[in-house]
Amino acid sequence: MKFDEIEIKVRFNEVDSWGMVWHGHYIAWFEVGRMALLEKFHLLPQDFTQMGYVAPVVDLKCLFKEPARVAEEILIRTSVLKPTKAALTFCCQILRKKDGKLLASGEETQVLLTLDGRMLYMIPQDLRERLQPLFRYFEEPDAAA
Amino acid sequence: METRTLLVLCVLCDLCGLWKGMGMPDDLVGELKKLIIETLKLEEITPEDIVDDGRLFGDGLGLDSIDALELVVALEKTYGVVIPDSEVGERVFRSVHTLAEFVREQRSAISRPPAAKE
Repeated sequence: MKFDEIEIKVRFNEVDSWGMVWHGHYIAWFEVGRMALLEKFHLLPQDFTQMGYVAPVVDLKCLFKEPARVAEEILIRTSVLKPTKAALTFCCQILRKKDGKLLASGEETQVLLTLDGRMLYMIPQDLRERLQPLFRYFEEPDAAA
Repeated sequence: METRTLLVLCVLCDLCGLWKGMGMPDDLVGELKKLIIETLKLEEITPEDIVDDGRLFGDGLGLDSIDALELVVALEKTYGVVIPDSEVGERVFRSVHTLAEFVREQRSAISRPPAAKE
């Protein structure tokens, strides 16, 4: 699976009294990765709103494998699954940069609503066209690979 | 009872939607129950567990919005019917019974030839 990747450094305020990153921050990092990806394709929340849609998260999963610690460099990897229904599912991985160890992985699913709260059971054509470059990017072979 | 009278009664019952009320089998309702179970992988539920008029979402069968999306895809693939959004979905997904009515309506609309232009 192809991933988009960004790097962060664990901040002091993100660790708990045991010196490990508090579990909720991994979810915030998923969000950081997802926003960085969506920004490249002009698909940020405000872009959705301009098109007349909102995309709330309805499902979120996270598996914690190993803790990250303060000042460690972290890689946030994000990918998106080609939709089989009117929902967007992002796959996220959190890795420690120095040894590439997978620390956490998860999935986040968003559904589509109109601004007046009507849930869409099919991806509308205008949005489908806007999403196409994003899916195409993940279908193309990775140049670095 | 004469054959003709029986025939008329059967037609009337079907038209009035009394078919189910008379305890007669309804293949489409059974098919839809199986489709729901298979699509959503409801391994612990059998078609008999799903009440024809019972609620599918919330405190009924307990389906959620993601389940609705899965069902919409399966219904389109299987019966060629389209449920565009939750406005229609809330009416259609009220029960297996309402879902069957919708599929019947849509299928007959699809199979009906377009009216000739004058």
